[in-house]
Amino acid sequence: MTEPPLLDIRDLHLSMTSFDGEAHVLAGVNLSVRRNEVWGVVGETGCGKSLTGLSISRLVPSPPARYLGGEILFDGRDLLSLDEAGMRNLRGHRIGMIFQDPTTNLNPAFRIGEQLVDVALAADRRNPDILGVAARAGWRTRRRAARDVAVRTLAEVGITDAAERIDAYPHEFSGGMRQRVLIAMALIGRPDLLIADEPTTALDVSVQSQILALLAGMVRDHAMGVILITHNLGVVAKACSHVAVMYAGVIVESGPVAALLRKPSHPYTRALMASIPTSGVRRGELKGLPGQVPNLIKPPRGCRFAPRCAQAAEACRAGPPQPVDLGGGHMAACLKPGPAAEAA
Amino acid sequence: MSYLLQRLAHSLVLLWAVVTILFLMFRLMPGNPMAAYISEALNDEQQQLIMAQFGLDRPLHEQYLLYVWNLAQGNLGTSFFRREPVWSIILSALPNTLILTMTGLVLAYAFGILAGAWLATKRGTLAEGILVPMALATRAAPEFWLGMILLTVFAFSLGWLPAGGANSAGMFFDSELHRIFSRDFLLHLILPAVTLALYLQGLPLLLMRSTMLEVLHDEFVTMARIKGLSEWRITLHHAARNALLPVVTAFALGLGATLGGNVVVETVFSWPGLGRLLVTAVSQSDYPLAQGAFFVIAVVLIVLNLVVDVLYGLLDPRVSHGRS
Repeated sequence: MTEPPLLDIRDLHLSMTSFDGEAHVLAGVNLSVRRNEVWGVVGETGCGKSLTGLSISRLVPSPPARYLGGEILFDGRDLLSLDEAGMRNLRGHRIGMIFQDPTTNLNPAFRIGEQLVDVALAADRRNPDILGVAARAGWRTRRRAARDVAVRTLAEVGITDAAERIDAYPHEFSGGMRQRVLIAMALIGRPDLLIADEPTTALDVSVQSQILALLAGMVRDHAMGVILITHNLGVVAKACSHVAVMYAGVIVESGPVAALLRKPSHPYTRALMASIPTSGVRRGELKGLPGQVPNLIKPPRGCRFAPRCAQAAEACRAGPPQPVDLGGGHMAACLKPGPAAEAA
Repeated sequence: MSYLLQRLAHSLVLLWAVVTILFLMFRLMPGNPMAAYISEALNDEQQQLIMAQFGLDRPLHEQYLLYVWNLAQGNLGTSFFRREPVWSIILSALPNTLILTMTGLVLAYAFGILAGAWLATKRGTLAEGILVPMALATRAAPEFWLGMILLTVFAFSLGWLPAGGANSAGMFFDSELHRIFSRDFLLHLILPAVTLALYLQGLPLLLMRSTMLEVLHDEFVTMARIKGLSEWRITLHHAARNALLPVVTAFALGLGATLGGNVVVETVFSWPGLGRLLVTAVSQSDYPLAQGAFFVIAVVLIVLNLVVDVLYGLLDPRVSHGRS
């Protein structure tokens, strides 16, 4: 018997109100993450991958957002029914998050150390193991312990001379270092689930692979479940154990990385992979995907990819296709899955 | 440290410029400055003697050097009208003005900053709909009108607080410090300080609210939320610290405007301060006194600006003061 998933998103529906009307931006997202799994969530801008991540930590401002249905089970508890105080108990300490831009996510007015001590102290209130000091310890002792933990965590994410650099301000750090600080900040409360929203997009390629290697090491050491949101399939192939492909608010295909990349079964996944330039591509031959992302205020009635799909049939436009199990946890929400006739 | 010395040097140059302008301004004013001092009954020779006593018979550049030299030694001259050293007259008025101004400003900014930060988290609520127009209305109301309303209610109708002056008539104190910390003085301080605070609170409140609204949308605030911090800590610690800079600037500018422009409140409440002294001195053509009052206001302003500059570096570490 397998252990229950750490995170189980079931049929999540989210709408956003805008001037033009109500957009149905998440239309039945299903995703379950276990410990030690690294899930890559890929898709183009606006497909809802970041919203899915923010929904888990309940940080989507509402209004304009409205949850229409579904549930987000974390350790069996539905996060959508938790109040703000209940959510605060999970943030930082059970659920950690890393964002794309380490420059704007660090508070410019505080030293790195203060920002780390902050989390450690807040997380310690929920899990006294974090500081390892007696519950009745004074404020001073707790602060000193929090600082020690901060130095240790900084060293853990590969910042040399952590004991000295902890007193630096964010603007005195380089981009890669700041991203390491953000990772340290997410890890200091020892979360079970880490959501990383494009953690390497703002970094140059060599730093990118260092950060990915660091994340992989952290997952191994702490037995976390990770959701890595990215638009880069290369990152997915390098760092993830599983992948979910999103298109217009729906997960169209998901499964273990190896299986999915070897046998992409949804036409959108195939198009996405075909658009990656390889060394064989010559100038002017970059392949894109024709057509446009659908308007989510008036989404297509059937499969949301149908208007751009070369293999779309009448049945595809009738209603949303249900996910089909292709074996080994590999699912595709398509009526005709499989590497079928490669259409022109 | 070198930053501090540099700022100090700037301040000295500024002070010198103020002194020079002051000196020239009073020499350029029409009329004989001695008219108030010298009786018409004196003959020319006697007049010349008095002019010589005050050094007014010497060429302008010598007068200027003498003036600067005296200032450097802390000698502000003698009042034409009161025949007392200007320094001691100003010294008796300066504490009153400084205390009134600082109390008013601190009340206004403490209230404005907290209320502004709180209002930023209450966007679109009834509280905002009521409090923001109220803050604007008190900001827009003339100081003397506010002062008169408060006087009518609290001094004349209810009789809770004294109506004017800084101390009750016939009160004597061992020292200036005893006077300032006496119950009598503090009771007299309440109405003018509150009037000033009511008049000043609008700016910090609205400024704090708008910068907070901006900062609350910054990503590091979301980050603070993800860290599991309480809403209170996020607002007052993480966001407010970043929103405070423009408010500190406004405080520095407000200091200048208030110290110099305290005349209205001081007049309404018959507060024996620098503002009233200045008005009296100018209307009586008491040039040494007016010159001295202007000079002291300038010194206080320059010193306070220096303090604010240093404060900046503490609030925003990116203003690094050139330390590498």
